[in-house]
Amino acid sequence: MSVTPAEVRLAARLGPREVFGAFWTHPVLRAALKAILTIWVTTTLTFFLIRLMPGSPVDLKIDELMQTSNGALTYDDARAIASGLFSIDLNAPLHEQYLSFMGNVLHGNLGNSFLSAGTSVTSIILAVLPWTLFAVGTGLLLSFSVGIALGLLAAYRRNSFFDRLVTTGGSVVSSIPNYLLALMIVVILGSQLRLIPIAQMRGAFSPGMHPGFTLDFIGDIFYHASLPITIFFLTQLGNWILSMRSATLAALDEDYVVAARARGLTDGRITTAYVGRNAILPLVTQFAIATGFVLGGAVVIEQIFVYEGIGLRLLAAINQRDYPLVQGILLITTTAVVIANLAADLLYGRLDPRIGRAGGATG
Amino acid sequence: MDPILSVQELSVEYATRRGALRAARDVSFDVESGETVAIIGESGSGKTTLAVALVRLLPRNARVSAGAIRFTRDGITRDVLRLDDEELREFRWRECALVFQSALNAFNPVIDIWSQFLDTARAHGMKDTKAVRDRSFELLDLVHLDPERVLRAYPHELSGGMRQRVLIALGLLLHPALLILDEPTTALDILTQRAIIDLLRELRTKLGFSMLFISHDLSLAAELADRVVTMYAGRAVERAGVEDLFYRPRHPYSIGLLRAVPRVTGALGSVASIPGSPPDLISPPPGCPYHPRCPLAIDACLAAVPPLLPVDMPRHDAACIRWQEVARTIGTAERHVAEKLA
Amino acid sequence: MIETLRLLSRRPVALIGLGGVIFFVLLAYVAPLVVSLQDAPDVTSVYLSPSLAHPLGTDYQGRDVLNQIVHGGADILTVAFLAAFISTAIAVTFGSLSATLGGRFDAATLGLTDIVLTIPQLIVLIVVAAIVHPSSFLVMAVILALLQWASLLRQVRAQVLSLKERDYVEAARSLDLGIFHIIFREMLPNMTSYIVIHFILAMTQAIYAQVGLIILGLVPLSGENWAIMLYFARDQGALYFRDSLWYILSPILAIVLFQLSLVSLASGLEDIFNPRLRAA
Repeated sequence: MSVTPAEVRLAARLGPREVFGAFWTHPVLRAALKAILTIWVTTTLTFFLIRLMPGSPVDLKIDELMQTSNGALTYDDARAIASGLFSIDLNAPLHEQYLSFMGNVLHGNLGNSFLSAGTSVTSIILAVLPWTLFAVGTGLLLSFSVGIALGLLAAYRRNSFFDRLVTTGGSVVSSIPNYLLALMIVVILGSQLRLIPIAQMRGAFSPGMHPGFTLDFIGDIFYHASLPITIFFLTQLGNWILSMRSATLAALDEDYVVAARARGLTDGRITTAYVGRNAILPLVTQFAIATGFVLGGAVVIEQIFVYEGIGLRLLAAINQRDYPLVQGILLITTTAVVIANLAADLLYGRLDPRIGRAGGATG
Repeated sequence: MDPILSVQELSVEYATRRGALRAARDVSFDVESGETVAIIGESGSGKTTLAVALVRLLPRNARVSAGAIRFTRDGITRDVLRLDDEELREFRWRECALVFQSALNAFNPVIDIWSQFLDTARAHGMKDTKAVRDRSFELLDLVHLDPERVLRAYPHELSGGMRQRVLIALGLLLHPALLILDEPTTALDILTQRAIIDLLRELRTKLGFSMLFISHDLSLAAELADRVVTMYAGRAVERAGVEDLFYRPRHPYSIGLLRAVPRVTGALGSVASIPGSPPDLISPPPGCPYHPRCPLAIDACLAAVPPLLPVDMPRHDAACIRWQEVARTIGTAERHVAEKLA
Repeated sequence: MIETLRLLSRRPVALIGLGGVIFFVLLAYVAPLVVSLQDAPDVTSVYLSPSLAHPLGTDYQGRDVLNQIVHGGADILTVAFLAAFISTAIAVTFGSLSATLGGRFDAATLGLTDIVLTIPQLIVLIVVAAIVHPSSFLVMAVILALLQWASLLRQVRAQVLSLKERDYVEAARSLDLGIFHIIFREMLPNMTSYIVIHFILAMTQAIYAQVGLIILGLVPLSGENWAIMLYFARDQGALYFRDSLWYILSPILAIVLFQLSLVSLASGLEDIFNPRLRAA
């Protein structure tokens, strides 16, 4: 992420506001600013969508409350109750509602769930988010490590049988939509061949198990997460293999690799510090983008495997029209992805000294 | 005393779709201890292929098809083409250091200069970090750079001239007997070129290594070389001491090269480029490769490839059957050229 | 164009991809004209195994599966094509405008693009679909397209930026040929290769998104298509029956094979358009 001339001119034009200018040109601060901006834009979008669409959920809730009370509640009463549920005063004009919403968010208050009145959205999310992060994180890390190892090997053994096998296999499996692969596993391995006890593997952990750092419990959560992890692993693997392979081939072509061999460096050192470290750079950015994608796919996959993560909760919330919860989950998942991207940007800046340093030829 | 480097009838070919491209054919020359030899030729003459072949760094689709490369140090002679992988790795840089152009990214862009020095030292068994550091400081001082600043820097933070100096310093890290420089001054501005040339002279006097450099720039040979080998279409066409080549060339191509160097004080029209273009190295014309562009060509030139024939000077040969004719055509014009260059 | 086809014919991967795409296009759009829809429920024939009468078996209402597969492709392909078209149009137009105009417009576009690239697409799509309830396929295509234009925009912008300095652009500018002429007549022809490849990949993304949304039941369901078959399969518990295997596998295979065809075609085209890969 280098600074474009447009951005520098933009910073300069803002003249006296040097603080902002400093923010804009410093890579780390810029990345942080973009992260915050992204989260803000997404939450604002959801806020207004929910409020402004015809038949807004707020009005629906008011209607629902009035109906279920059989006329005992007046419109204003119902509105007051809805207010409480949304943690926002619905009498106020829209922009004030927005401001108080944002204020709440900054205090960590995401409102209360429509269904279980009194249960905060935050607590619901915190109960299920770890499971999703666990499954997605493990799957991604596994596919990344195995993928780059295979990709590197494939590049070194270019056009060999191994290379062709790994490349074709990887790209075929990666082209399969991940939830369809999940369906196939459930149907073929589960129902047809009865190889996998699908029913038992539902949920994040077995009923009756006590959460804790015991070996039993950890084994149990891996057991329950194994199918989602496998899907994430298989469907991302091909991408890493192909990317690492092409990045490695590009690096092997570079002059400094020949120069390093001219200096008598060992193949091992060249592979790790000269080829590997350069090849992996584009993959760091890709990892961040992959988290966003996999998190999205997790929603469908958790449905299929009935894995109690945030994706399952999101769909339940949507079906039950529990809009504060939907809003909260969207905010949290976007934050998670934005943080992953931010981390990737920062990591990239550290790995590649050409970016993120006030460098330049100095004669 | 055996020469440091003895190249005998070396031929290198590349496999291409159209057939074998013979980039170097039957090239032979020696580099004596303490000597500086320049290999001069235009692009496509095979000179870089030659340099790279000397440390067996040819790309995958190229191979040495014939010839021998013998390296002698402290009385021990080794056949470079027969070294096994581990011996080759040791040989590279410790005995013979091939320094590329600074313009090429010869440095790993993501690690700092110090790490690259350390990597090189460690690869050859120097484990004592302090010793490596001391030696690096010593060498960077010799090339007139600030060691503290340079070692901490990343390659992109150094200018082209600085990078070339660092490359030279790094080249001398392990006290090699032979330093091979590929186009050391190309891609540098004129002032930096001057600085690098002076530096090389100074280092050579101080440290006494032998040097082989590859270039298209004849004036560089005049500055630094003891002997010159001109190459054309993959063949060595003339081998002579530097003064002999400038004052008494015996191959039409060498004369063409001399004439093509512009002189600051020269009259207009005294610079001439050689008409025509280099031949196709996959299917070259019969006989002498230079004959299509040669003003002195006769029918006999097409009959067979002329070998390197000794001429009327000692340690001087030329691949031309009409070298006596060449000697006669050298008039006063060429002598002035040579005088201005030397 | 002819040159491209000739090069394509030398690569088996691309040929298979092209063949697959053509097959599915024919299956989705032409076959239904020949075979009429048989959607009368027949309770006596629920979940029959594949036979001559029903090559892919029957579904939970006794209807023929093969028949549904034949009629089930059109919607999905149409939405995918529309979404890819819209997102490509947005990306190309705004990418080149942004690069040409520069300044604040460029900075703002770039910022917006970065944001759209970062957000988790499917999740946002799910929430938006839940709120908006798209009832027509056009609306669905638009929603899908609105999240897909970002990566191509960056590429187009980068390419236009580099081409801006070229001679023939300078010439066009000095002849006062106007911005749109410069963009559409001078620069775009150089970019067709990766625009085409991106279009194909955008189709795969659109298919992924819409099938996912339908399976989750977030889109008002009408008509027959492969994804709706899967929704009903889940809804009716067919995932857990032994006899309903082909009812579920058929649409999955149709979707997967179509995706694979698209990806193979894109990969083959990439091979052709990238001279460096070609020479290797």
